[in-house]
Amino acid sequence: MNKKIRVLVAKPGLDGHDRGALVISQALRDYGMEVIYTGLRQTPQQIVAAAVQEDVDAIGLSCLSGAHNELFPEVMALLKERGADDIIVIAGGVIPWEDIPFLESAGVQKIFTPGTPTIETAKFIEAAVRARDGLPASTGMEAPKKIDHIGIAVESLDEVLPFYVNTLGLKLEAIEEVPSQKVKVAFIKIGESRLELLEPLSDESPIRQFITKRGQGVHHVALGVEGISERIGELKQAGIKMIQEEPVKGAGGASIAFIHPSSTHKVLLELCDKTELEGGAS
Amino acid sequence: MIKHQEQVKKWKLATEKSMQRFPERKERFETSSKFEVSRLYGADREDYDIEKLGLPGEYPYTRGIQPTMYRARYWTMRQYAGFGSAEETNKRFRYLLKQGQTGLSVAFDLPTQIGYDSDHSMSKGEVGKVGVAIDSLEDMEALLREIPLDQVSTSMTINAPASVLLAMYIVVAEKQGISPEKISGTIQNDILKEYIARGTYIFPPKPSMRLITDIFAYCKEQVPKWNTISISGYHIREAGANAVQELAFTIANGKAYVDAAIEAGLNIDDFAPRLAFFFNAHNQFFEEVAKFRAARRIWAKLMKDTYGAQNPKSWQLRFHTQTGGSTLTAQQPDNNIVRVTLQALAAVMGGTQSLHTNSRDEALALPTEDSARIALRTQQIIAHESGVADTVDPLAGSYYVEHLTDHMEEEVGKYLEKIESLGGAVAAVEQGYMQREIHHTAYETQKAIEKGEEIIVGMNSFTLENEVRPELLRVDPTLGEKQKEKLTKLRNTRDQNRASARLEALRQGAKGTENLMPLIVDCVRDYCTIGEICGILREEFGEYAGV
Repeated sequence: MNKKIRVLVAKPGLDGHDRGALVISQALRDYGMEVIYTGLRQTPQQIVAAAVQEDVDAIGLSCLSGAHNELFPEVMALLKERGADDIIVIAGGVIPWEDIPFLESAGVQKIFTPGTPTIETAKFIEAAVRARDGLPASTGMEAPKKIDHIGIAVESLDEVLPFYVNTLGLKLEAIEEVPSQKVKVAFIKIGESRLELLEPLSDESPIRQFITKRGQGVHHVALGVEGISERIGELKQAGIKMIQEEPVKGAGGASIAFIHPSSTHKVLLELCDKTELEGGAS
Repeated sequence: MIKHQEQVKKWKLATEKSMQRFPERKERFETSSKFEVSRLYGADREDYDIEKLGLPGEYPYTRGIQPTMYRARYWTMRQYAGFGSAEETNKRFRYLLKQGQTGLSVAFDLPTQIGYDSDHSMSKGEVGKVGVAIDSLEDMEALLREIPLDQVSTSMTINAPASVLLAMYIVVAEKQGISPEKISGTIQNDILKEYIARGTYIFPPKPSMRLITDIFAYCKEQVPKWNTISISGYHIREAGANAVQELAFTIANGKAYVDAAIEAGLNIDDFAPRLAFFFNAHNQFFEEVAKFRAARRIWAKLMKDTYGAQNPKSWQLRFHTQTGGSTLTAQQPDNNIVRVTLQALAAVMGGTQSLHTNSRDEALALPTEDSARIALRTQQIIAHESGVADTVDPLAGSYYVEHLTDHMEEEVGKYLEKIESLGGAVAAVEQGYMQREIHHTAYETQKAIEKGEEIIVGMNSFTLENEVRPELLRVDPTLGEKQKEKLTKLRNTRDQNRASARLEALRQGAKGTENLMPLIVDCVRDYCTIGEICGILREEFGEYAGV
């Protein structure tokens, strides 16, 4: 079941400041939700009627006029009256700290104060809707940025390298031994990705076991991610089994972790984070 | 001998002469090292570009609209205030006047701004929240009680129902025995930016433009010292526009008002000197200074060359500035004092006529008295301690600032051409063009902040784990009820027949083409409420539904 989450972004009250409402609408759309924006000056009745008619999963209320203590509880009461109080309600705007407990006790699930990143709001809505529907907390992780490399198991680097370097004309970047995996690795640059040729150095090497079982060939695909620890957390929340639950050091100093093939329809996938090495955005 | 020497010489003589009437603050201005500070720098240089820069107080006004600027008089420190009931706000105003403030600036609550009475169902929760609640002349009388309206100038942030509030002000003055030609002040009265950015519109564009030009014509005859419009970029910027968009859309709106007034049969020099502007002072210091300087030059050229205005007062872009509300953070609110200082400095370097500095806690609530005082003190420190007000347009001649000023003018020109090609500002607004441009910039800004490409100190960098939560101001929550009772009493005690007749006359006027201002003045004099007056106009004009 992969139904898009539907959100009504609503502006109760009379204030015309809809920058926040418009920005959050766009951000939720970019996150993959369907968003309906009500426009300005909506009464609680209009908001609840729209929410019911549009069959939304969540309502985001935005109010900057100071009328929130009157209007938000009215929205909550009307939702209850209509039997629609399974709709998740969140809110934002100019809302003083001390009003938050009152509004939350009225049933608003969360008040987002100014400065909250939009991604946080999107994730909150997603988690709340999924919790309501009895689904795992997350559908997955923030998308990988690229194919970092493709790992290929080989018997002997000396034997295969001439094909890649001379025949295909690719550039050999480095050869390196990775003691933890008992392999010797050759990196071959291709566009923004690499081929990683893996030669087993002993019989205990996982690559040796792989070759024994399946023969030489493609071993794994590595997905380039940022913030590997959070990404692992997201996958675990989505019920995905990891081989490494914490990132470990891989070839070239990258932080890596393998996803268990039982969760990936039998493909060995590696998460590979080189943000720190490459000085990218954190 | 340099080419423009004659002109500079003439300027010096004229300035000396005008100083007999408007003397400077000091005989001699000097730095802490006792260096003398001259009135003006640069104009004696051979490479001085007099075409582009002009001289202070002279076309095209790049360096300011007065020859001596702040050496004669500081900008007006005009803090926007008002909340709760008319009585409460009156008390605050009288306190401020006692402290030596000469200008008032009234904030109205949202029902007033949208033409609803306090007992209308749409007003629920809003009465007195973001400004003072005004339903009828009775409230306006209470608001202005014991304030000598011939001695103060009053700025009112009111747009769609500007005629109604101005009418009330005129009648209160009348009751104080002060004739309309003696009162002075400003109404915002800028409906186009309401559609674009601020949202407190009522009627569709066409009848709204009629109400505005009716005010121009009425004030020309009856209230000549009133600034009939404050064409506002402030809210456009707050909605997410960048500096060039703020300026371009504001100028485009200004052109639309000028065109509408000319079409309504007015002579440009009869209303143009009463047009005022209102800009935002945002974070990027030099760009903001350049924006203000470019604004003056663009407007002067437009009025003189395109519209053929003859009166130099018509060429001068006078403006109020407010520091950028949306730059304030809810996190570590004391940091906002520093932001406001830099923004206020940009406004002063740009030659503003008046300035409002925001309070540090405005991302959280209306300002407390402490916060509001710090905001005012910020202006006073810039004025009295920094020395930046001792020479005219001190950043002129900076390679960077002059480049930015020229570039700003060019880029604004491109936007103006684009808007012209869409059929002018009114058509562009109706097509949602400016709204889309602003939203695009707002969203890009948000993404840049979230990616950390744009640093907001205390919010996405240099954050604190456990923030102290400041004391915030609360508005009396029972005010809505009190205001409702007042209205019921009013409706029971006023001469109902007269009130009804006035409203009917307004309806007939709205159906025709006559100037509606005198009819609205009659309505308020007989205690018709703002909701009743705007209700009649809603029925006749319809309501704007947004794009």
